[in-house]
Amino acid sequence: MPASDYSRQTHHEFEAASRQALANASLQLALGNLGQTLGRRNRDAFAAFPDSDAQRDRARQIKDATLAELDRHLETLETSVVRRGGHVHYADDGDAACRIALEIIQARGAKHVVKSKSMTSEEIHLNHALEAAGVEVVETDFGEYIIQVAGHRPSHIVAPALHLRLRDITEILSRDAGRPLPAEAESLAAYARQRLRGAFEAAEVGITGANFAVAETGSIVLISNEGNARLTSSLPPVQIAIMGMEKVIPRLADLPVFLNVLARAATGQKLSIYTSVITGPRAADELDGPEEFHLIILDNGRSKILAGPLRESLFCIRCGACLNACPVYRTVGGHAYGGVYSGPIGAVLTPLYDGLSANRHLPHASSLCGACQAACPVRIAIPEMLITLREQLHHDPANTGRLESLAYRLWAAVIGHPRLYALATWLATRTIGRLVRKRWLRRLPGPLAGWTAARDFPAPAPRRFRDWWHEEQA
Amino acid sequence: MSRESFLARVRAAAGAGRAHRVFAADKPLPPISPSRTAAADLVAQMAAEVNQVGGHSHVVPDAPAAARVLAELLEQSAATKALCWRDPLLARIGLAELLHERGVQLLDYDALLREPVEGRKPLILAAEIGISGAAWAVAETGTLAMASGPGRERLASLAPPLHVAVIEARQIVPDLFALFAHYEVDALPSNLTLITGPSKTGDIEMELTTGVHGPGQWHVIIVAGALQ
Repeated sequence: MPASDYSRQTHHEFEAASRQALANASLQLALGNLGQTLGRRNRDAFAAFPDSDAQRDRARQIKDATLAELDRHLETLETSVVRRGGHVHYADDGDAACRIALEIIQARGAKHVVKSKSMTSEEIHLNHALEAAGVEVVETDFGEYIIQVAGHRPSHIVAPALHLRLRDITEILSRDAGRPLPAEAESLAAYARQRLRGAFEAAEVGITGANFAVAETGSIVLISNEGNARLTSSLPPVQIAIMGMEKVIPRLADLPVFLNVLARAATGQKLSIYTSVITGPRAADELDGPEEFHLIILDNGRSKILAGPLRESLFCIRCGACLNACPVYRTVGGHAYGGVYSGPIGAVLTPLYDGLSANRHLPHASSLCGACQAACPVRIAIPEMLITLREQLHHDPANTGRLESLAYRLWAAVIGHPRLYALATWLATRTIGRLVRKRWLRRLPGPLAGWTAARDFPAPAPRRFRDWWHEEQA
Repeated sequence: MSRESFLARVRAAAGAGRAHRVFAADKPLPPISPSRTAAADLVAQMAAEVNQVGGHSHVVPDAPAAARVLAELLEQSAATKALCWRDPLLARIGLAELLHERGVQLLDYDALLREPVEGRKPLILAAEIGISGAAWAVAETGTLAMASGPGRERLASLAPPLHVAVIEARQIVPDLFALFAHYEVDALPSNLTLITGPSKTGDIEMELTTGVHGPGQWHVIIVAGALQ
């Protein structure tokens, strides 16, 4: 699916998508218990982990220090990967990364590719690029496979098919199988296992992401619960790993801190089922594992973010905890956000990667309650970043209506001059305050109607505070 | 060269970004208290955690007892092909004899090397049981650390629907920090995989389903006593 199909969305479209999401009973049931399942598991896991505060701070600090010298760590990573017989490629943007992957695939004369779940590959629309060149790409994460067959895009960073219910999945996979499958999780998983084993056997190339990359050892780290990332990196003769450049950590000794917080944040597990530290291709005397190992390091806008005030967004380790914690995400689901990354972190990342003007609805898709920051394993200050983005939007004349900016200037003038403020409040209480006699205004007139479209406006009181105060004093 | 321009761009950005650092550059990392589990409790903790994550632990006193558990698992599985590590501990509990007595085909490094290259993958994928040792185990999480190498195939703990690992008590370390401290920076195996439970997915309505890609059944036999 080309980028334009789902990465650009207007304010109006976000509102429409949210309204649709609210009216979609099946989606509401699918989202139903997120706060009580994944959200609660996150809270319980951290509560039961005595050193969790220190470990989260340490993870955060390692990210901060690594980014300060990212170029040096990337060079070390490159040297280490090459020392272990792997190849490193630098990709300025998504198109470059897709081109590099395609060249590697075509050099092997490969036609069949298996993939394990990778948000980075979603970000650069890799499947689309490979399929356009006649390469068959099969997603092997169970959830990813379901949505690939259905032609959907992921609605959650770690649970891509979260928006679907058992009924939907049964229908999707039955169509794929060409026969009715029983509507029960075990049988559907068994079908996927058998179907995907065939794909694994046939594949000449396996494409993975990388949860982390360890600079000093030249290792990439792949984490999964199903084992598909292991099969993708063990069975095909070629492995291509694609990583955003911020995924590098300097030392092997840094890894346990991140492993300790990642799974707890994502699913409440102490550790995900499979964590593979992959260092180069197989040794000459090994019987399995890839003969060829390629690492594609992707910028795609990250260096611009690294230089600026929202650099902290590069700390993200893609656990999905902020989605599960967010009252907005839990109500409208992932698709309403319009980007590849959804939820609170998506509301920060998508405008940064894809342009703020094109995604001006996203910084506002939050109540700024702070639940995301509390759930984040590296304590990213997401609400602050959303406010920064709102400020940037405001300073961009293309994004602020004339009337709106006039209104704010008027407001600033009134609130900056005590006499004017006194006069304005006197007027408000004498007019609206006394005539309307309601505590909340449900609909403001004319151009102000937008303000009350999604919330009520507090009506001016019939009496000013200062008048009451003077009477009390007298 | 795109490499040079890439790194130059990152260098400039990292430099500019330092103005937005969250922590002072010289702030020491917060200390992390080491796991307090005493060595004597590691076996019990490991066994409990393995069960906690959906596996089955078997604590046995010695090699013959381990062989008895393994024999029972072989019989229950009705396996005809076993994908096995070439492992000194497995040799000492007499794995080859156990398999031979039950007519189970032993697929290990040597057996697979005798097959033509194109015949190996189908054989490996046909195995109904994988039997391995482990490099280390982590008590806090109930984890096995599998280091790949010749005779330590990564698929043994992955492709078959049932995986049985045999470890000794002295291989158990308290936590992940202790585990990674055992690895030299320049001596990592090509694949070091940590396994913490049977394969699972929560992709259907967050309901946990086991065995979607990897083994749905996961057994860890812990030989608690000293082996002769």
